[in-house]
Parts: sequence; C-alpha cells; structure tokens
Amino acid sequence: MDLIRILLSRFFALFRAKRLDADLDEELRAHIELAVEENLKRGMPAQAARTQALRSFGGVTQTRERYRTQREIPLLEMLAQNIRFGLRHMRRAPGFALVALLTLALGIGATTAIFSVVDAVMLKPLPFPTAARLVQVGSLIAATGKGGSASYLDFADLRDENHVFDGMAAFRTGDLIWIGPHEPVRLEGVAVSANLFSLLGTTPALGRSFRPEEDSPAATGGTDPVILSYGLWQREFSSDASVLGRTLQLGNQAYTVVGVMPKGFQFPIQAEPTELWTTLAIDARGGANALTVQRGAHYLDVVGLLKPGVPIQSAEAEMAAIAASLNKLHPENRARTIRLTPLLQSLVGDLGAPLLILTGAVGCVLLIVCANIANLMLARATARRMEIAMRIALGASRGRVLCQLLTESLMLGLIGGGLGIAVAAGLVRVLVRIMPVDIPRLNDAAVDIRLLFFAILVSLLAGILSGLFPALQASKLSLTGSLQKSGRTSGGEDKGSNRLRSSLVVSEVALAVTLLLGTGLLLQSFLHLTKVNPGFNPNHVLTYQLDAPAGMQSDQIPGFYREVVARMTALPGMTSASAAAALPLTGDHVRSSIEIEGQPTPLGSRSQADFNIVEPEFFRTVGTTLVSGRDFTPRDNVKSTPVVIVNRALAGLYFPNQSPIGKHVRPGIGNGYGPGEPPMREIVGVIEDIKQSGPGVEAEPEVYVPFAQCPWDSVFIAVHIATDPEGAVSAARRQVTSLNKNAPIYHVKTLDQYFSDSVAEPRFISLLLSSFATLSVLLACLGIYGVVSYSVLQRTHEIGIRMALGADSGRVVRAVLSKGMVLALIGVTIGLAGSFALVHVLSSLLFGVRATDPLTFAGAAFALLCFAALASYIPARRAAAVNPMTALRND
Amino acid sequence: MLVGDKSDVLQGTLDLMVLKTLEAMGPLHGYGVARRIEQVSGNTLSLNQGTIYPALLRLEQRKWIKSAWGVSESNRRAKFYSLSLLGRKQITEEIENWERIATTMARFLEPAK
Repeated sequence: MDLIRILLSRFFALFRAKRLDADLDEELRAHIELAVEENLKRGMPAQAARTQALRSFGGVTQTRERYRTQREIPLLEMLAQNIRFGLRHMRRAPGFALVALLTLALGIGATTAIFSVVDAVMLKPLPFPTAARLVQVGSLIAATGKGGSASYLDFADLRDENHVFDGMAAFRTGDLIWIGPHEPVRLEGVAVSANLFSLLGTTPALGRSFRPEEDSPAATGGTDPVILSYGLWQREFSSDASVLGRTLQLGNQAYTVVGVMPKGFQFPIQAEPTELWTTLAIDARGGANALTVQRGAHYLDVVGLLKPGVPIQSAEAEMAAIAASLNKLHPENRARTIRLTPLLQSLVGDLGAPLLILTGAVGCVLLIVCANIANLMLARATARRMEIAMRIALGASRGRVLCQLLTESLMLGLIGGGLGIAVAAGLVRVLVRIMPVDIPRLNDAAVDIRLLFFAILVSLLAGILSGLFPALQASKLSLTGSLQKSGRTSGGEDKGSNRLRSSLVVSEVALAVTLLLGTGLLLQSFLHLTKVNPGFNPNHVLTYQLDAPAGMQSDQIPGFYREVVARMTALPGMTSASAAAALPLTGDHVRSSIEIEGQPTPLGSRSQADFNIVEPEFFRTVGTTLVSGRDFTPRDNVKSTPVVIVNRALAGLYFPNQSPIGKHVRPGIGNGYGPGEPPMREIVGVIEDIKQSGPGVEAEPEVYVPFAQCPWDSVFIAVHIATDPEGAVSAARRQVTSLNKNAPIYHVKTLDQYFSDSVAEPRFISLLLSSFATLSVLLACLGIYGVVSYSVLQRTHEIGIRMALGADSGRVVRAVLSKGMVLALIGVTIGLAGSFALVHVLSSLLFGVRATDPLTFAGAAFALLCFAALASYIPARRAAAVNPMTALRND
Repeated sequence: MLVGDKSDVLQGTLDLMVLKTLEAMGPLHGYGVARRIEQVSGNTLSLNQGTIYPALLRLEQRKWIKSAWGVSESNRRAKFYSLSLLGRKQITEEIENWERIATTMARFLEPAK
C-alpha cells in the first residue's frame, strides 16, 4: 500500500516539476534565513552567521538533487535527462551523428533485407499442415543419377508396396487452353493424383476434393473434374459460388468444376501460380498409347508423406529395395534408383550456396559498420574529454556519466535501427524486383516481425558494444589532465584507445579485402559466362509458344505449324521464321534413349540424348551453324525416309573420327509413321552444339527430327526480325488467331530475354556482392582516414617541433602515409590469409576461374592498398601544411 | 565523494527521529526539526541539515506527516510539518521495530562481553 502511494506521488510529481522546484527553493531559503536569525541572536557577526548557517546546512545543490531523486522516479527522470543531453549533443556534432546514423541505417537495412529474402525463400516452412513429413520421391537412372520423374506404373508400385509412407501422390504440369466466354486463354494447370490435396493436409475452400476413382477417366458421358485456384475463381468467376457444377471446355474436353482451393494455396510451389488442378485421368486415355500404361514414360513428379516418426534414411533404404525389385521384374527398362529429399530442400536446393554467400557478405558489412561506429564513438569520446571531466567535477558520479554515454549510444543505435528498418523495407522490394525471375516464393518476401526484432536487437547491440569501451574509458579519466586546455593527456589512456581504433581499422580492412576478392572472382566468372558461345544468336529473335488446337488430328498438326510459320512472313522486318519443340534456354527439352546403327542394345541399357523436333530453317533462324550435311526441307515428311540431324557432341561421341552423315540412329520416341517402335533415322546433317541449359553447362548429345515426321502437341515459334522484335507481337497474335482462333499464343518473349534470364543468377550475385564490396571498401577507407587524421591532430604539437627543427614536408607526409599504409597492409594480409580458407565456398558458383586464382588475390590487395593510400594522403597533406608556429603556440 | 552519504545509512532512524520530534514539538518547520534533532542527539550527530528535506518528503509521500505553508515567529514564510493520524500510529510500530532490532543486536554482542 505504501509503495503504491509513494509511486503515485512520484509519478504525478513528474508533471509538476517546475512548481515543486520553486516551492522547495523557497523552503530552503527560509531554512537558511531562520538559521541566520538564530546565529545573529546568539551574537555572531552577520557574515559569520551566514557562513555558519550554510555550512551546517551542507550542499544546497546536493540537497536539491537528492530531494528530486526522492520526489520523482529516478530512473525515468535520469533517462529523460540523458535523452535531452543526448539530443543536444547530436545537434552540436551533426557531422558525427549523420555519419553514424547513415552507417547504421545502411548496415542494418542491408542485413535485414537480405535476411528477409533468405527467410522467405529458404527458411520458411512450406505452407502445408503436413509440410514437415513431405518428401520428394525422385526416380533416377541408376547409372547416371540423372532424371527425377517416375512413370505411372512405377509410381503405383512404389506407392502400394512401401510401409514407410502414409501416402504418395504424383503430379505433372498440365496447362490447358480454356475455350471460354472471352478469347481462348491458356491457364497454368497441374494434373494431380486424386489424393494429393489430402496428402498436403489441405481441403478446398469451396466444394470438394478429388475422389480416388477420379484418377481413372470418367465413364462415357461423364466429365472429368477440375478444381480451380482461388485467384482464378476471383478473376474469372467473380467469386460466385455457383461456379460449382459448371462445365468448362478445357482443351478438347469438357470438365466439371467440383471445388475451389483456399486463398493463397499453391501447389507446386513455383514462381508461376497454378490456376487449376485436374486429375491424372487425362493421361489414362488412349488405350495402349496412354501414358499411364507405359512403364518407360517417366513424366510424373512424386511426393510422399512419411509415416510419423520414420526417419528419411530408413524410408530411402526401403524405397531403394523396392526399386531394385522393380528393376529385376522389368529388365527392358533402364535400372532406376530412388532418392528421397525433404520437399523444402528440393525446392531451394541450388539456391543454398548463393544465398548463404550473400548472407556472409552482409555479415561482413555489418561488422565493418559496427567497427566504424565504434571508431566514431571512440574519437568522439576523446574529443569530449573536457566536457566529461567538467561534469564529474561538478558532482556527477562516474556511474552517472557512464549511464549518459551509454544512453547516447543506445539512442544512436535505436534511431539508426529505425532508419534501417525503413531502408530494409524499401530494399526488400527492390531485391524482389531485380532478383532472377524463377526463384519460388520470392514474391512473398517482406520485412516480417521477427526480423524487425532482430534489427532492433542488432542496432541496440551495436550501440551498446560500440559505446561501451569509450564510455568505460571516459569515466576513468584523470580530471586534471583532461581539464588542461592542451590536446595532450597522460599517454596511458590514449594509447589504449588508439590501439583499439587501429585494430578496429585493421579488421575493417581485412573484411573489405575479403569481399573485394569474392567480388573479383564472381565478376570474372560472370564475364566468362557471357563470352561463351552458346551455339546460337539470341539477338532479334521473337518467340512464342503455341499448342496444337484441341481436336486436331495428329497428321494435321505438322501442316498447322507450317502454316503458322508461313504466316510469320507478314511480320514487318522478318527475315526468317521456324518452329521447334524446345527452344534453347527454355528448359523444355526432352530426353530420349537412342540406339546407334550397328550397335544393337536392349532398351533398358541404351544411352540417352536430348531430343528435339524442328521445322526447316530453324537453325538459320536462331543462328546455329550447320557444320556438315543439310538442313531439313519440306520434302522430309512421312512419305520419305526418316531423317535426323545430330549435334557435334553426339557425332563426336558415337562417330569419332568419321562423318556421321549417312549413318543411322534410332531415337526412342517420336514416331510419326505409325504405331510401334520409332524407326532408324538417317543422319543428314550435323550442327554445332547448342548450350540448351545455358552458357555455363556443357551441351549434351542431341538429336533433331522434323515435325513432318513427328507430330508434337506444343511448339515454340521463332521469328528472326531485323528491326524491333517486340513491336511485332500483336501482329503475330493476329496472324495466328486468324488462322485458328482456338490456338492462342502465350509466353511471348525474345530469345534475348531467355538468354539474359539464364545468366540472371550470376549477374545478380555479382551485382550485389560488388555493391557490398564497394560499401565495405568505402567504410574501411573512412576508418583509415579517421584514425590517421586523428593521430595527426593529436601529434600536431610534435609535428610542429619536427618541422621547426628542419624536417621538410615530404618527410612528414611520408611518416603519416606510412602510418595508414601499415594498418592497411596488416589488414590486407590478414584478410587474404583468411580468404584463402573461405573462397572454396564460392567454387560452385565460379566459371572459368579458380577459387584460389593468384591474380585476383593480388588485384584485390593492390586495389585496397591504393584506396588506403588515398585515404591516408589527405591527412598527410594536412600534416605537411601545419604551421610550426601555430602548432607550438597551441600548447 | 559526495558529502552526505552517511545519511543513507541512517534513513530509517532519521525517519523515526523526525516523527518523534513532531510528536513532541507539534507542528514545526524544516529548520526547527533539524535543530531539535541536533539538540536532542547532543550534537553528536554531525548531520548536514539539508538531509532533513528528502526525509520529510519521504514521510510526506507515505502520508505519515502533512505540510502546510505558515508563518514563523519571526514573520517568515515557511513550510510547517505535522503528524497525521497514520503517522501517530506508525510511531508505535516503528518503536517496536527499533526495540526488536536493539534486543537482537544485544544478544549478538553478549558473548563478546
């Protein structure tokens, strides 16, 4: 009860401070006067009476202080006072405050932004209730370890024979053209097994999920079901619940809408949001040609839900055993093995290295920032020696002074942190926009609450740590030394401070040179990448995708494509046009087995090659050189000899030291001639290698067959336009729709853009890392500048004496320069030594340059030393300009 | 370093002295209380008179004493303090506390005799 009463009265006293102060003053005055009266009555002379009265009273100021301490909440009052003083101090030294705040804001902003992105992309768990137990079931070719997709029959066997999974589901992308009320539009679709949603632990927001029997085609007269995404439902159906039961014409089939998924639901997690889900029934149509009955057609991605408590390794062991038994049962197929990966990991897999490197770089920058702040605070504290000494002389306790300095550091930290959060928010948005396009979940990156707290924590720590040493230092000062007007004090305190500042600068330089080195390596890699000959010329080529119209017979499809290509001559500036099943760098290419003439091998052990289908003139359109033989012509069709063009890699592999023209190979797929095994094809031409997966990846052996001999249901059209490719888009669209309105074009992009995207990741990382390196070099040089110019300031007296004794300005400059250079040299050495151990982390990202490339090491060291020299030169010049008379006079 | 640190130790005892002084003397101003304490303690306590004021404030915050502005014998305006009902009751309690401490200390000091 007492405590509350006291606290309340203290609280209210805060607000009446002025009035209460006046009251107290009056009361104390009265006390003194009464004492004087009594002394006079006792017979003391007037002067002595007053002196005695004051002496008995004790210190008036102290009484006031302690009265106030009792009256108010001391902590709060002290804090308020600290903050007031702190703000006043900042206003008096705006340069220091500005630099400190800017450094903190940038450092904290960059760290938080990068962490936000890393968190959103890599660390955040998948948004499914069962996420922790979901694994990707990868079916790989045992011999090469490549692949990943399973066939339907393999999937069914794996699903039915295991004891470690609660369930398994399969899916594949299945974009469909919606013939709806408007223009036919292509929707991103995914065909899934009926149990997928329940495996993920999600149910539709509207309607129902798929039923198990819907994996098989509906009975005649019935329709297959489709489930819409929330986004699609909102956009095209105005969130009208009556959409359930409606029939949609997708492709050449009618589907019935049976459900709508909840808002924000995404599967699979990828950059392009899925708009609808259908079942695998679509693949079960076609009798003997149905995809689902071909054990060799590996086209499904499989995901499994581990039973609770089952470790992934034991599950993988059992799956491997099942795969082995399947291999034995079906020797005609290539032996396969199973690899299990936690779903989250399979998603972010290759992003690990680059994102972690970025995080490391940002960490370095933050450390440098803290070191710089500490340096600034140290310098500032030494400059404020006199002010602090006076405070102590006037009665402040050392603890109070310490508190004051710490509060100032905290204020700096908090304001810097606040600014940093604003910087982070903006930076995250910028990062999302410039990062490579196909990083999944990137668009969800935003500064979140946890990271907010992290930023605040970091800024507080930075403030406290960097203020701690100067605060301790300042509170231990000897008063007499500090109160002297000269800039000199007892050597002991300053030496400690100087040594700390020097070591801070050395560490800054070490970190900066590490970043510089990393940047140098990555920039070189990037430049090498862009110089690689990709095997084609991406300039001036407009491309778009097109599906064969629903319902068109397969023997009519090649003619349709040929028509489309022919119509492209109407585009202004067009020089050449053609079509292909997969364009370079689109990641769409297919792999097939191949059999070489004269080397019969059973299906299960044949080699693999990339498989592509092209129209005549394709190679000319994309600028690929024909090395020998001929291109396809309109005369190559189903009535003539099956032909094939191969690339140099295949020729070199299977026909070394001879011309492959006239020899024969049999691709495992692509038969326009009728049912049965694809025919042996005659090699009529060899082209240079096209780097299908990007400039950094070696080209695989590849075979090309003509469309006329191999229908395909979707195609890329490529048009070489000498003028502006982008301007011709609407003209192209008009041409195609006038030919057949049920074949909308989509994914319109220039080949240039595909190329740029393929190097987007290394470009992005080099860009980011170079900005970090620049920032860190700048800060390190600032640090060197600060330390050197401060030492010049301290030694002005000494320099004056030397110059008066005859030292020329050259000697002075050299002396000062050497101080800065020595620091830089030590820093560079430490940095390079440390980097030697660290650069191997970069190896996975490097192309054409070794991680320990000595030239890059030397270059980084040299660059930093040059900057350090510059940073030391300015104060050196100032030292040389010292007038000995003024220096000596300022004693 | 700061003068007057000693009064921290005597805080509780100072409070009791002030209360007893006001009980005996009736309403008194700060100076009067300080002088009276000096006299009663036989001038053995070298307290700085200023330390009385934080103590008076503390007692006032606890509502054991109340204050009012008045006029001294010499027609000087000063703040006068007097015991409240609560304060009167508190004296008995404080005396009991003090005696308890004294007895306990005595027991400790006895064997040394």
